[in-house]
Amino acid sequence: MNATPALSPAHVSQRGALLLGLSGLTKRFGAFTALSAVDIAFHAGEIHCLLGENGAGKSTLCNLVFGVHAPDAGTMTLHGAPYRPAGPRDALTAGIAMVHQHFSLVEDMSVVDNLMLGRVRGVLDRRGWAARLDALGTRYGLELAPFARVGDLSIGERQRVEIVKCLMREPRLLILDEPTAVLLPDEIASLLAVCRRVAAEGAAVILVTHKLAEIREAADRATVLRQGQVVATSDAPSTEINRLVKAMIRRDLEGLDATTAATLGLEDESAVAAPAVHARPDGPDILQIDGVSLRDSDGALRLDALTLTLRAGEIVGLAGVEGNGQSELGLLLAGLDTPTGGRLVMDGQDLTGRTPSDFTAAGIGIVPEDRHRVGAIADMNVAENMFLNRTRAFTRFGLLQRRAMHDAGAELMRRFDVRATGPDARFGGLSGGNQQKAVLARELTAPGLRFLLAAQPTRGLDVGAVEAVYGLIREASARGIAVLLISSELDEVLAVAHRVAVIYRGRIVGERPSRPDQREAIGAMMAGHA
Amino acid sequence: MNARTLVSPGLAIPVLAAVAACLAGTLLVLALGFSLGDALSSFVDGTIGSHYALAVSLNRSVVYALVGLGFILANRAGLTNVGGEGQIAMGGMVAAAVALHHGVAALPFGLAFLLPLSAATLAGAAWGGLAGVLKARVGTNEVISTLLLSFIAVWLVYGSVQSVALLRQPMTSGATLPESLPVPDATQLPLLTGDAASPVTIGLPLAVVLAIGMAILLTRSRFGFQLRAVGLNPVAATRAGFAFASTVVVAMAIAGAFGGLAGGVMLLGEQFSLKAGFSSGYGYDGLVVGLLARGSVTGVVAAALLFGFLRSGGISMEMGAGVPTALVMVMQGLIVVAVAGAAFWLDRRGSRS
Repeated sequence: MNATPALSPAHVSQRGALLLGLSGLTKRFGAFTALSAVDIAFHAGEIHCLLGENGAGKSTLCNLVFGVHAPDAGTMTLHGAPYRPAGPRDALTAGIAMVHQHFSLVEDMSVVDNLMLGRVRGVLDRRGWAARLDALGTRYGLELAPFARVGDLSIGERQRVEIVKCLMREPRLLILDEPTAVLLPDEIASLLAVCRRVAAEGAAVILVTHKLAEIREAADRATVLRQGQVVATSDAPSTEINRLVKAMIRRDLEGLDATTAATLGLEDESAVAAPAVHARPDGPDILQIDGVSLRDSDGALRLDALTLTLRAGEIVGLAGVEGNGQSELGLLLAGLDTPTGGRLVMDGQDLTGRTPSDFTAAGIGIVPEDRHRVGAIADMNVAENMFLNRTRAFTRFGLLQRRAMHDAGAELMRRFDVRATGPDARFGGLSGGNQQKAVLARELTAPGLRFLLAAQPTRGLDVGAVEAVYGLIREASARGIAVLLISSELDEVLAVAHRVAVIYRGRIVGERPSRPDQREAIGAMMAGHA
Repeated sequence: MNARTLVSPGLAIPVLAAVAACLAGTLLVLALGFSLGDALSSFVDGTIGSHYALAVSLNRSVVYALVGLGFILANRAGLTNVGGEGQIAMGGMVAAAVALHHGVAALPFGLAFLLPLSAATLAGAAWGGLAGVLKARVGTNEVISTLLLSFIAVWLVYGSVQSVALLRQPMTSGATLPESLPVPDATQLPLLTGDAASPVTIGLPLAVVLAIGMAILLTRSRFGFQLRAVGLNPVAATRAGFAFASTVVVAMAIAGAFGGLAGGVMLLGEQFSLKAGFSSGYGYDGLVVGLLARGSVTGVVAAALLFGFLRSGGISMEMGAGVPTALVMVMQGLIVVAVAGAAFWLDRRGSRS
């Protein structure tokens, strides 16, 4: 299973010429080895998928190729010549372009202005650039309004701007770092089509992903990284998905939780049972979001008379493309913002306009979408974060009982399998999965919990942690707690929720039972075709 | 434990930086043609040369320490209180007004000085709290508001000693200075030794007790935890139930209270009468003490002592050896830059490994 085929000449010449070769590439950050002796060959005219969990070294590899970091050992060759970029500028000159996970666009400028940034001098030829944009759009099927303000574009369109920015340089190698995480199902399909066209014109494409459906659809080759090493390669990835997954998560699929398997995109595999069909539980209403509206300081309506009722023990999935009001709803449910219209009613108690402590006291637990800003304090330790909202329980005569807090923290860490050097470890130093488990530990052990908001709870987590998070959410539901799962991953919503509500432009535009056969209908509603 | 860890670099490097800055200052004294021997001996005379010099230096350090303690408390909550000067001015002015109030000097059980001292503390708290309210209510940056409030306070002091109807002493001739009457003996801070040749006031033990209290408050108490949470991440702290607005107001009020107390100590322990500009930069120096301390009470004490003795020595060098004050200020600045630079360097090294 750990066999790494050596790069044989036969391996090299199948589709196109060897474009970029990595040999023995190693990168260390302090004591941590992010990449260790990696050999990969990227060929012209191919889409090469890089697979791996978070922290496997995918991004480090891209950053080495793009010149962001310099390798500690090993060599790269481009067209057979040594390639040693001193920075991204060298990489661009060599014909390597990269679309990062985080966009670098100026929101207040138009598409064309963003394309011209840093590439023009003197008099600006906006018309000429718009024409170039149109030509590229026709060539690759990437339509963009040249003079639209980037801030007004959807996430998918912004990504298109980033891709066009790269394509304008006519790259010989295009790197896309997890480009599909933020896209609608339709948008993913068209992105993959763009990749295929780029490859068909003779360039190489490196597609970093952890979604198997994309590999099945687009990959010509795949390399799986785990802990900085190549653990599997495939010249026909679409036919060997299971082998690749096994290598990626290093375990057999028989033991894999059905929900997790569905979320990963494994389907119709004998090893994986279908997710259980979810029946909506028959409990009393717990939380009523009653015609809630929110106008932001610019006067834009972020939530538009949104109504949703959750029953005890029910998991409601809120599907939608990011930026349609999910974040605002999350802040309202945390008590951090006040609706400009409508009411939030918990167990018959109107909480509109109350403080976050009142929300917690009423039994509302929050796993926020922005763990670093809302969920925890990175520079405090694990125990302090686990009892952030319960410090009073550890206070005697105004003094904090650190010992007691430490011990209680250790106990919670055991119960929720939070792995860290101890309760005194700095929270910010934990892996994403352990951070999320610690936040869940805090919210799920709050006395009198009746409702849990889990907003994008598995974003950036590896498979083991994802499974743990689903397990905790399901346990909570079994305890009679109502759960609102906000997620932009439709697979996740379908696998975990009892029913699915779709949010579009601040409104619930429809509800569907959580069944795989509803996928297309839900996808259409997410795109606003309701 | 090996020899390398015996002296932690966290302590040794700022100290070495301070020593290096002092050496650089010495070279400057030489370069400008002053006699190094004269300069050094006047420096020693002015700091530890006599009981009197020692006492005066310690009293100065007390003022710096109080302002610095307030600064690090507000800083724990992510707030930068640059208004020490104004808080001192308000404290001093109110202390003078209360001490000069008819009947206060006759109060028993030390109330004669405790009452004006408490009033000074409250005045400082109000002045600092005002900046806190502005921040909590309308989001005014506290750096701006405390700085501007300082100007107001300093000019309020100026105005209050211009008019006999306010605090100016009765006009007996055209030569009557625009300052208040001296406060009555009973309202002055008692001396530790009871001997005017060694005038260390009870401000010193008070500052020590407050420093210990502050250390406990910041590291052990729930309130200290709250300050830290709000300072590190206001949103997450709010979500966890710590109210941002009240934390900010209380933190700024406490910081201001320390400044006001420092003003009271200056007026009742050293100056005895209110003059225009009596705060003379102590608030700004106290701010630097707070910054140098980098959040630690021990750091405040060390920096306050350094500044207290430097200022005394500087004044003495000017009087004894003719070294201009400007040069002393340059030395002070060199020390600040060296120590702060060393701290920055230590931080960077720490975050890289």
